[in-house]
Amino acid sequence: MKNYYRRSHAYALTFALFLSYNSPLLSQNLPLKTISGTITDANGTLSGVNVLVKNTTRGSISDLEGQYSVKAATNDTLVFTYLGYKPIEVPVGSNSTLNVAMQPDATALDQVVINAGYYTTTDKKRTGSIGRVTAAEIDKQPINNPLEALQGRVTGVDVIQNSGVPGGGFKVRIRGQNSLMAGNEPLYIIDGVPYDTQSLASGNSSGGIIPFADVNPLNAINPASIESIEILKDSDATAIYGSRGANGVVLITTKKGKAGKTVFTVSSSTGIGQITHKRNLLNTEQYLEMRREAFTNDGITEYPEWEYDVNGTWDIKRYTDWQEVLIGGTANTRKIAAQASGGSVNTQFLIGGQYQEETTVFPGKYAYDRLTVNTKLNHQDKEERFKILFTAAYSLENNNLPSRDFTSEALNLPPNAPALYDQEGELNWENSTWSNPLAQAVSTYKQDTKSLISNTVLSYTFFDDFELKVNAGYGFSELRGIATTPHTVFDPAYGRDSKSSRLTSSEGNRTYWVTEPQIYWERNVGENKWSILLGSTFQEHTSGKGTIIGVGFPTNHFINNMSAATTTTILEDGETTYKYHSIFGRINFAYHNKLFLNATGRRDGSSKFGPKNKYGNFGAIGAAWIFTEGMDIPFVSFGKFRGSYGLSGNDQIGDYQYLQTYALADYPYDGNIGLLPTRLYNPNFKWEKIVKREAAVELGFLDNKISISAAYYNNRSSNQLVDYALPGTTGFPNIQANLDAEVENSGFEFELNGTISRSDSFTWNSSVNFSIPKNKLLAFPGLENSTYANRYVIGEPLTIAKLYMLKGVNPETGLFEFTDFNGDGAITSDMDKQYVADLSPKFFGGFTNTLTYKEWTLDFLFQFVKKKGYNQYRYSEPPGMMLNQPVSVLDRWQQPGDIAEMQRFTTGENYEAYLAYSQFTQSSGVISDASFIRLRSLQIAYSLNFGKKKSNTCQIFLQGLNLLTFTNFEGGDPEQAIGFIPPLKRITFGTKLYF
Amino acid sequence: MKKTWKNMYKKYIYLLFVSLLICGCEDFLEVDEPFGQINSSEVFQDDATATAAVTSLYGKLRDEVLLTGTSNGLGALMGIYSDEMDFYGFAGEPMDSFYQHQVFTDDLMVESIWNQSYGLIYMGNAALEGLQSSKTLSLENKAQLRGEVLFIRALTYFYLVNLFGDIPYPTTTNYEENRILSRMPVTEVYEKIIIDLNEAKTLLGTNYISEERTRANKWVVSALLSRVYLYTEQWNLAVLEATSLISNTSLFNLEANVANEFLKESSSAILQFKPKSAGDNTLEASLYLFESGPPPSVSLTPQLYETMEPMDNRKENWIGVVTDGDQTWYYPNKYKLDANTGTSQEYSVVFRLSEQYLIRAEGHARLGNLAEALADLNTIRNRAGLTDSEATGQSDILEAIITERNHELFSEFGHRWFDLKRYGLANEILSPIKPGWKPTDVLLPIPENELMMNPNLNPQNPGY
Repeated sequence: MKNYYRRSHAYALTFALFLSYNSPLLSQNLPLKTISGTITDANGTLSGVNVLVKNTTRGSISDLEGQYSVKAATNDTLVFTYLGYKPIEVPVGSNSTLNVAMQPDATALDQVVINAGYYTTTDKKRTGSIGRVTAAEIDKQPINNPLEALQGRVTGVDVIQNSGVPGGGFKVRIRGQNSLMAGNEPLYIIDGVPYDTQSLASGNSSGGIIPFADVNPLNAINPASIESIEILKDSDATAIYGSRGANGVVLITTKKGKAGKTVFTVSSSTGIGQITHKRNLLNTEQYLEMRREAFTNDGITEYPEWEYDVNGTWDIKRYTDWQEVLIGGTANTRKIAAQASGGSVNTQFLIGGQYQEETTVFPGKYAYDRLTVNTKLNHQDKEERFKILFTAAYSLENNNLPSRDFTSEALNLPPNAPALYDQEGELNWENSTWSNPLAQAVSTYKQDTKSLISNTVLSYTFFDDFELKVNAGYGFSELRGIATTPHTVFDPAYGRDSKSSRLTSSEGNRTYWVTEPQIYWERNVGENKWSILLGSTFQEHTSGKGTIIGVGFPTNHFINNMSAATTTTILEDGETTYKYHSIFGRINFAYHNKLFLNATGRRDGSSKFGPKNKYGNFGAIGAAWIFTEGMDIPFVSFGKFRGSYGLSGNDQIGDYQYLQTYALADYPYDGNIGLLPTRLYNPNFKWEKIVKREAAVELGFLDNKISISAAYYNNRSSNQLVDYALPGTTGFPNIQANLDAEVENSGFEFELNGTISRSDSFTWNSSVNFSIPKNKLLAFPGLENSTYANRYVIGEPLTIAKLYMLKGVNPETGLFEFTDFNGDGAITSDMDKQYVADLSPKFFGGFTNTLTYKEWTLDFLFQFVKKKGYNQYRYSEPPGMMLNQPVSVLDRWQQPGDIAEMQRFTTGENYEAYLAYSQFTQSSGVISDASFIRLRSLQIAYSLNFGKKKSNTCQIFLQGLNLLTFTNFEGGDPEQAIGFIPPLKRITFGTKLYF
Repeated sequence: MKKTWKNMYKKYIYLLFVSLLICGCEDFLEVDEPFGQINSSEVFQDDATATAAVTSLYGKLRDEVLLTGTSNGLGALMGIYSDEMDFYGFAGEPMDSFYQHQVFTDDLMVESIWNQSYGLIYMGNAALEGLQSSKTLSLENKAQLRGEVLFIRALTYFYLVNLFGDIPYPTTTNYEENRILSRMPVTEVYEKIIIDLNEAKTLLGTNYISEERTRANKWVVSALLSRVYLYTEQWNLAVLEATSLISNTSLFNLEANVANEFLKESSSAILQFKPKSAGDNTLEASLYLFESGPPPSVSLTPQLYETMEPMDNRKENWIGVVTDGDQTWYYPNKYKLDANTGTSQEYSVVFRLSEQYLIRAEGHARLGNLAEALADLNTIRNRAGLTDSEATGQSDILEAIITERNHELFSEFGHRWFDLKRYGLANEILSPIKPGWKPTDVLLPIPENELMMNPNLNPQNPGY
């Protein structure tokens, strides 16, 4: 019975397909005539309006004068649509001229076309969870990398910038960390081409200045060239990306030209950047008091000869604010951009270029500059059957930085450390009593990057309802990083010469292509609509990396020339290839514009896996029900339930891990090369799997002036790809394998958008987004007997730290004390680290406002995050040593009976005090609330229309980034506190001209 | 209607065309091996790559594992663990725990010794399996390479069993097996070592395969075998093996001048490590030499210097002295070149003839052949410019031998430590001078991580 029931459904479905397939052929009976007319809006004629004969694919676009003409029968209906306007339907009847006036529609959910990757949808019809940031929002922020535009604007998306140094990296997590050890990066697609965002930089050359050597390849994209960024989150949206969709997908679409008059845009801006705030450190008096007390505490009465700061070698009256000197500078930014776009009804173009330069807050002449050129051409033939789209973006980046970030020197140097320069203006070494931080400044890191991204899409429509499409993308990135360390970084007293100068040169390159033939079929059957997509992907990435170190140069003039080095060592040299092949599809059914069903799937094959496991299947089903359609509910203008369920995967591991190979190794012997086994052999590992579920409700009130959406998601990833730790007796520390561990990410996401005022002269739109993510390790077989026993706890998030539990300072001994969990009378590393600190955000979000009053607009975004983080003591040494400290250390123990926050000062000679302090740095005492509210972006703009018909616009704007931060956190910047310079605050002033 | 069908037929042709475009191409996913990697099965089909896979084991020993001249090697580590060397690095540095006898189960150095050694054993086992299944290598080369691997594996197990006592003994590359191994008793490990060495002796030729003494042959195996017999108290066999080397005067002779002992042409050398690059000398020189005090890392204990007789010309030739007026430091100066010299002049010596004389001396002494024992001992003493030993009676002669071993073999891969342990003197000699000393320190702990991941390795060595 059950079977029969299922089969009958299948029959019905086949029948429906068949019907819809044939129906138009049966209805084309009446003769066609030409209908023409003019389309206008409140400001005059409107070009580029889509005119479509309903239930057919026949149509046209209005020309520069707003004229259109189309062939239709008397019983046909014409549908006029234009982005941001309400659609209009007019029956043809006996008319041969139809003039139409379009009405703007700011809240038209069905008008906003959303890019879902292989297909498009609208906000109204979408079945999946897709976040979106558009050019309008991106342009308001003085940012360098498109990822910065996402901060605080999209629910479920957590973006952290690694460093305030230009050209660095980002950590992006969409709905949390799914994978224990494989990558957690989203998939990036730029104009249809998968874009690998793994850094090409090498830690050997850039590690001191760019955190984790993470140079984000998206730096190559000029944010101003972007039309929209879509973030695909749930399975309905991501399953079509199969094995790469687990961590979400970021789709970047660049701007394209519009039919109509040629528009030129010229903009220029200039601005400044500074660190968000300085830490409150000890001044000389407080510092010396700390030092002397430490010596007294340690029972040292005579200051040793190397303690220059207290023994009188250095001036004890001297004070330098090292933060001001080393990281307190002002970074200058300049941007200039020009763009031309326009075209005819059939052919449109856009070409743009941008140059920008940004200096650093460090002392010295360092700068990042970037030149980008982007172009987009689209063309269709007269019958609109054949379409071609070509996109290309090329960029050149040049980053010239000190080879080390000065932040740690700025925080640690004693405030009475000597002057940087002597009286002759030379670097001061103060008789070899210190290491002058500016000596490091002659050691530089220079990085050149070139990237090209291009894509061509050809499509052909046949039989009215089939579209055959092929996109072919090609791109490359090349990065060259050179770190030079001349001998002059060392104190001349050491007598070094250019024989100890050093050059580290690294190169990374990547070439990739993708081809995706696709076929698309779409048919309206009465009030229902079917669309089916079938496609295939062929993709290949080849990447290479190499690093050479050269030491010893005849003079430092040749330090950039590897061939002049006395000895060279090759550290890295390799090339890898990654190939990828898959078939994907989508079936979408719309019932009465009311119920939408979306099924997507992908069969993926990847060269990263062994012969038996190359292929994997992924798929999802999504549904949406617009319950307000055909139903009148007071105040509620729109209501939708949607939900999805499906499977995506993750393949972010290295290439070739399944091969059993020997590799060249640096152990040449007796005239033979070095050749050693690469790894333990396991050809059987497979994709990481993630099952995603989502349920959401979307509501619009008062003509959609207020809209609310709420979503709950639950993602579980299993089959975790890990470097499974093995005992040393196996010969290797680990093996690539699937572990039966399970990670859950669940949470709520809310959005509230409201139009507070909409009059001719004043509009005010406001929106709030709010995400409550929750991460949990559900299972990890054999956790206790693994090396991860100290890193993970079942039932807790992955982002925990296991620490000692600080009891406070013992009033008698003046030492920190910790809870002895195992009661063995000693504080020992793993047994007593039982305090679990959760470092993942509890909730985060943003509050955006856009106010327009006549020619003025004001935009601002407050970003807020609730989380805990490592405070100023995490990477510190005991107060009392020859390092400066935050003022908070002054609340310290001085004599028996004192109740204090900080333990007794020590010079490090008191072993017990030193040990207690080093345990303190791994205890609950270094965890603080790192929640913050930040005025993330602010723009004030004034627009002036001028010229004939006032069609030209001049905009003057003032933009700010990270301007204000409200936080109780004391350990530097609450967003990022890893010892590198945090993201800067910026103020930019500029103008933009449209004509 | 007919038209419709024709139309549809045409559609199917289109669809067929598209589906062809979409599907197929299973081969597309095949990728070549990455640059610089060879499929394991191919490595042992070719003489050059098979040889490289085996000689790399020497490279590993030279640069990183057990016998390396760096601070990770047993020369320095067991030197400071015994009364041979002092450590001058920072408190808390990995080596400090050895010097202070504060080695805990999570000691990074111990973990590194363990993991590196078993890594080397894996590589050896992989090579043995590769050689076994190779059908294209010449029989000669196969025998030579197998012999060398067996020797290196036995050498590695010899040190592991002396450092850790009962140890797991992997003989395959199968990680499923190797991850759950139990510990094999010391006597059994030695039995296996001896079996491997005897097989190696039959496989290897009597000549060195290359022009220099840088790869194992039959004599090199004998040198290790005589030491293994000495350590397992099979005195007769030890004497026999040592004699086979000592009497092979066409290959081995004691350098008359101790100054030449560590040059690459030294006729005393039985096995030397070839340096990594042309013109390089030894890693030992970079570690041990210093020009001004305090020493950057390690130095010889003043007591070692002071116990050497005034006429001992090894003092002048093998020990460097640095003084700042107040204090005096001594460093091992057997290797004198710590820079590249264009053409290499010194090679790190793994086995040399002096040790064989001392092994035979001790073997004879233990057997009661005191005259023979004294003769061998005096050969070594006389070369050093010393008069004959005045020791009489077995225990005196044995004591003279251990002292002579200290003076002759210092700074070479921890001989002193293993001698103290063998003689049962570790407690007596080290407890007065090492405050952290415990009698259970004769064995290092099994690394904590290892016990956690493989509980079959329990129990931990006593005292940890």
